[in-house]
Amino acid sequence: MEAYFIAIGIIALIYVILSLGLTLQYGLTGLINFGHVGFFAIGAYTSALLALKGVPLVLSFAAAAALAGLAAWPLGLVSLRLRDDYFAIVTLGFSEVVRIVITSEGWLTNGVQGLPGIPRLYEGLGGSAAQLAVLVTVLAVTLVGTWIIRRIAGSPFGRLIEAIRDNEEAVQALGKDPARFKIQVLVVGAALAGIAGAFYAHYITYIVPDQFIPLVTFYVWMAIIMGGVGRVSGAIVGTAILMLFLEGSRFLRDIVPGVSEVDMASVRIGAVGLLLVLFIMYRPQGLMGDYTKR
Amino acid sequence: MTHTRRQFVGTIGAATALIGAPSILRAQAQGTFRIGALCPVTGSGSPFGSGMQKMIIAAAEAVNAAGGAAGRKIETISEDTQTSPQAAVLAAKKLIDVNKVQAVLGTWSSGVSLAVVPLTNDANIILMNTSGAPALSVPPANAKGLSYRFQATNDRFGRAFAEICEREGFRRPATMAFNNASGVGNTEGFRKAWEAKGHKVVESVVYEPNQPTYRSELQKVLAANPDVIVTGSYLADTTIIMREWYQSGQPVKWVMPGWAASPELVKAVGPDVVEGIISVDSVSNENALSYKAYDEAYRKATGQPGQSNVYAAMTWDMVHALALAIEAANGTDMAAINAKIREVSNPAGQQVYTYAEAKEALKKGKINFEGASSVLDFDQYGDVTPDFGVFFIEGGQLNRRYVVKI
Repeated sequence: MEAYFIAIGIIALIYVILSLGLTLQYGLTGLINFGHVGFFAIGAYTSALLALKGVPLVLSFAAAAALAGLAAWPLGLVSLRLRDDYFAIVTLGFSEVVRIVITSEGWLTNGVQGLPGIPRLYEGLGGSAAQLAVLVTVLAVTLVGTWIIRRIAGSPFGRLIEAIRDNEEAVQALGKDPARFKIQVLVVGAALAGIAGAFYAHYITYIVPDQFIPLVTFYVWMAIIMGGVGRVSGAIVGTAILMLFLEGSRFLRDIVPGVSEVDMASVRIGAVGLLLVLFIMYRPQGLMGDYTKR
Repeated sequence: MTHTRRQFVGTIGAATALIGAPSILRAQAQGTFRIGALCPVTGSGSPFGSGMQKMIIAAAEAVNAAGGAAGRKIETISEDTQTSPQAAVLAAKKLIDVNKVQAVLGTWSSGVSLAVVPLTNDANIILMNTSGAPALSVPPANAKGLSYRFQATNDRFGRAFAEICEREGFRRPATMAFNNASGVGNTEGFRKAWEAKGHKVVESVVYEPNQPTYRSELQKVLAANPDVIVTGSYLADTTIIMREWYQSGQPVKWVMPGWAASPELVKAVGPDVVEGIISVDSVSNENALSYKAYDEAYRKATGQPGQSNVYAAMTWDMVHALALAIEAANGTDMAAINAKIREVSNPAGQQVYTYAEAKEALKKGKINFEGASSVLDFDQYGDVTPDFGVFFIEGGQLNRRYVVKI
């Protein structure tokens, strides 16, 4: 039982790290990033490929963050002239481009066959101790990430990006250049997604382009919307609710009688959908949402 | 809003406790051998997944009706992979850690099997899959020799395609593949085997999934003027490709895997469009008594003929091979069971077809279980080498002309 909770915990925390990046980008700055999974994929593949070549994991994680962050840079430059909705389209396109490049460049990424046998973190510890160590590490990174985002949100920089979200023209009128700040926000969020990707690759130990579909991006969106957009605590709580819905529904069969084992799978997916709809109907601003401002 | 945040969190906490509790209470039951049925009930594997899961349950019932294995009943716990590696990993974790299963059966897509196999290896339990990717045969995936594959590898499919093209006298084959491990595996396997025979492939196209149209890919292939197109495709994309090819009017033959050129395809596009298509599939061991038992169970569970789901025949065999190995090992020690799987399935020994019969024969000596999906003989990698049936679609019917052995 513990090992299962540890597994859920690790996956949930990986999604929290992704949500933190998106909270910074959308929640605070108002950048509609529909391509989050692209940076996640870049991080996963960077770290996996380096680790398979024998590079120490500390370095491969750093490279994953760096490369994912760097990938956001040109995207930021290109997209600065675009308003919200167009930016959303470009980022969605970007993540699909990343996936298709990974699929096509078989010499590097092994294409659709994927990369099996990615080394795990703390392989030496073995078994459940290693799992626990992974959980603690992801938790530590999540806490540091949360702390950083909270610091950013509370700083003058944070007020500035919130101002960009609320009224970009006003920010310009005050003599600030929103473009620079948007790029910085994009890069930081992408680097976080890269780290999440590296954890994912080394935890699942097998990655293939099919895993990096836009659904992942939208899971993260669901999480921050349910948690409360613009709140750092919302990223964490929202992910927890999403995982509770997704994983908790596996135990439906224990409490719902009269449904066959096979039908249960579909009932489960339906129940998750229903819960999501009900949740948004009754808590439209998210669980931790800011009910004072809007 | 009348609800407070605290109340809400409280409710969620209570709900978690409620759904978590019964399974903890159930976790330890004596005298059973637990297996996990981890099938693609939803997602792209859904046309096969529910049948596969039903056949695991049905086969376990057959085993239990014959008195179980090594004095224990087989208990099945089902989970859905959603045909997604991430969902499958969590589902497998639950099966292994919460339900304490001692074998995981029925993973379908290669991506899922490759993601689940590290977990079953860690837990030192058996994984039985129906995936095609070659990587599953060798370390790191099969480092412990605990993984068994009941489906022909994509490589073997490719070799069978090449045999058929040679036999049918085709000279200028082109390939079209769905861009995933299995699709590309089929056409690459074909290309390797075909070039080894000293021929050339005139054009190869790999296409992206979930497109509304495949016209440009099709035009590119047809421009090379092939006499046959070999595909590594699935039902949904093949349906679109067939319609668009028919509209183009260019005559060409097709060789396709059986999961694409199936009765559903005929139903979807009409018999005129698919007339003459060659459909290749690993032959179920149709004349064996084991197939008859499987077919009966499948009809009873789904109302469809057993032939419509080759993977379900494989999962039926999984339970049989595993239960016989448990019986032969006379206990639940996983290393002992694993050592017996080849012994009860491979030749030398009395040929047996049903569990009850096999269990009796096992008392007298060595047995060779002949499955419903194939004769079920595992090589050193845990792979089976089934024969391939070559079906021609004629007047809307799939008629088997001959069988290719590789």
